[in-house]
Amino acid sequence: MSNNTIVENLKKEIENFSLKTKAEKIGHVVEVFDGIAKVSGLSDVKSSEMVTFVGGEVGVVLNLEEDTVGIIILGEFSKIKEGDEVRSTGRILEIPVSNNQIGRVLNALGNPIDGKGEVKSDKNYPMEKVAPGVVTRQGVDQPVSTGIKAIDALIPVGRGQRELIIGDRQTGKTAIAIDAILNQKGQDMICVYVSIGQKDSKLRKIQTRLEEGGAMDYTIIVSAGSSEPAALSYIAPYAGVAIAESFMDQGKDVLIVYDDLSKHAVAYREISLLLRRPPGREAYPGDVFYLHSRLLERACRRNKDYGGGSITALPIIETQAGDLSAYIPTNVISITDGQIFIETDLFYKGVRPAVNVGFSVSRVGGSAQIKAMKKVAGTLKLDLAQFRELEAFAQFGSDLDDATKNQLERGKRAVELLKQPQYAPVLTQHQVVSLYALVKGYMDTVPVDQIKAFETGLIEYAEAHAKTFIKEVVEKKMWSDDGEAQLKKAIEDFKVSFIK
Amino acid sequence: MATLSHNDIAQAIYMASKDKKGHELSDIVHSTVKFLAKKRLISKSESILNKLEKFSNKEDGILIAKIVSVKYLGEDSKKDIASILKQKYNAKKVLFEEVEDKTVLGGVKIEVENEIIDLTIFNKLKKLQEHLTR
Repeated sequence: MSNNTIVENLKKEIENFSLKTKAEKIGHVVEVFDGIAKVSGLSDVKSSEMVTFVGGEVGVVLNLEEDTVGIIILGEFSKIKEGDEVRSTGRILEIPVSNNQIGRVLNALGNPIDGKGEVKSDKNYPMEKVAPGVVTRQGVDQPVSTGIKAIDALIPVGRGQRELIIGDRQTGKTAIAIDAILNQKGQDMICVYVSIGQKDSKLRKIQTRLEEGGAMDYTIIVSAGSSEPAALSYIAPYAGVAIAESFMDQGKDVLIVYDDLSKHAVAYREISLLLRRPPGREAYPGDVFYLHSRLLERACRRNKDYGGGSITALPIIETQAGDLSAYIPTNVISITDGQIFIETDLFYKGVRPAVNVGFSVSRVGGSAQIKAMKKVAGTLKLDLAQFRELEAFAQFGSDLDDATKNQLERGKRAVELLKQPQYAPVLTQHQVVSLYALVKGYMDTVPVDQIKAFETGLIEYAEAHAKTFIKEVVEKKMWSDDGEAQLKKAIEDFKVSFIK
Repeated sequence: MATLSHNDIAQAIYMASKDKKGHELSDIVHSTVKFLAKKRLISKSESILNKLEKFSNKEDGILIAKIVSVKYLGEDSKKDIASILKQKYNAKKVLFEEVEDKTVLGGVKIEVENEIIDLTIFNKLKKLQEHLTR
């Protein structure tokens, strides 16, 4: 573009510019501390309305008092001083949304932080929104395939479900969520990963991992780092879900991960205490339940009449020393449709993912599971729970009857089969093949330490020799008698060659 | 017991002292001070007085407008502004508080209570900048 055209364009823009003068509502900063500003004036301001400071900083009104309003400042607040003018905008807190955000890393205000330039967007979505009502909803009946055997088989997640991932620090909670995102490739799913109060190094690692796995083609990362003010951590999940809603409104399915809501609650506690709201249990404010319930209610599956689409939420909660009865964990457990409980002991025993099958449940996912998977996984959960009990019992004595011994042997193999390395999602049809071999007893004579090798070999063999079975599972979600016979033969043939 | 806000107290003082003169007024002042001392609010008297001033201005139809401009305005312009403000805010009398500020570059900024009418060159340029960078 030549200089002349630029000048011409500018001239045109300036000519078109018209300024309407109107009386604006203003206030003045009375005090400012720790990311909070108390402002006098602003008489007609609404709760959650955005206000702007002299230097362009944005704030959100949280407290409306008789003489002042309490405002949380979203961003740098060191330049705001007493007496500064504050203007109301008349707009409730909102975030720009667009399909161009896919593949980008954004902050809690929707601005890109990955150094790849501006994100063009034409629409704004409100961060706080009432969740879709009952009339617009539909039951959960489509699966979200996570690629993790233990989850897909035993604690299935459906589209529109809210499944909590809960466990101590460093036990692989994020790993499960990231694996689930990686496995959405080609499954017509948009993913949003909301990182709340995480270290920037961890975020970078996750971003790199997602890029390597090709997952950034359908993923958006929203981040409020630990070095940023608590106000940004507080709004980050709402920003994430607003972005998710913009995709749901296009009829798409969205998977959103909140990593993690314990830090979100802590950020909200910080803000509430600074705003002098009365503290309750564990010093959290009284509305900390509502904080999470209104966020997680926005995950839903909408029926066709209202545009379809769904938001599946995977919130993460970090417990302290496995204490599930602390305030925030119990709150979020009661809000969600089930939880995946990760146990430290199992993790150090080498069972990874360290999912405790006994404590984990999925309240609605069962109806979303495909028929083939339901058939093979039917008794597996009960078997595993019984195995855990027998295992403890069997440590006291060696005289066991054959039935108990068999159950123990089967249980050991099941545990071994459900182990899975990180970033190695398994296709649903392959999961069905290996679980079929397990529950039908074909693995009972395979030594426990060779289960992994047996599984890998069997899947490869079945791909070549049980094509009908695999095709049926992929297309019809269930096998026929012919397909089953073909798989049985394939397993038997493979076993003979494997044991040799 | 519900807590009394400074606003409530200011309002009560205004109502009690309205249209009172001489002996009666000094009695009211005396009992007000006694009340404030009893409620341990003497230290807050400045804030209460501010509220009282605002409240009495409002009741008497007096409007205080802050005017920011590069140079002090002439009497004619002030009269014009006063008549507009009287109409807009339904006031009987307008008092001006003038501020000279070179940074506004030109034009005038009028602040009334919580509202601002910004007609300065600085504000116009800022709005133009926002428009062009969008």
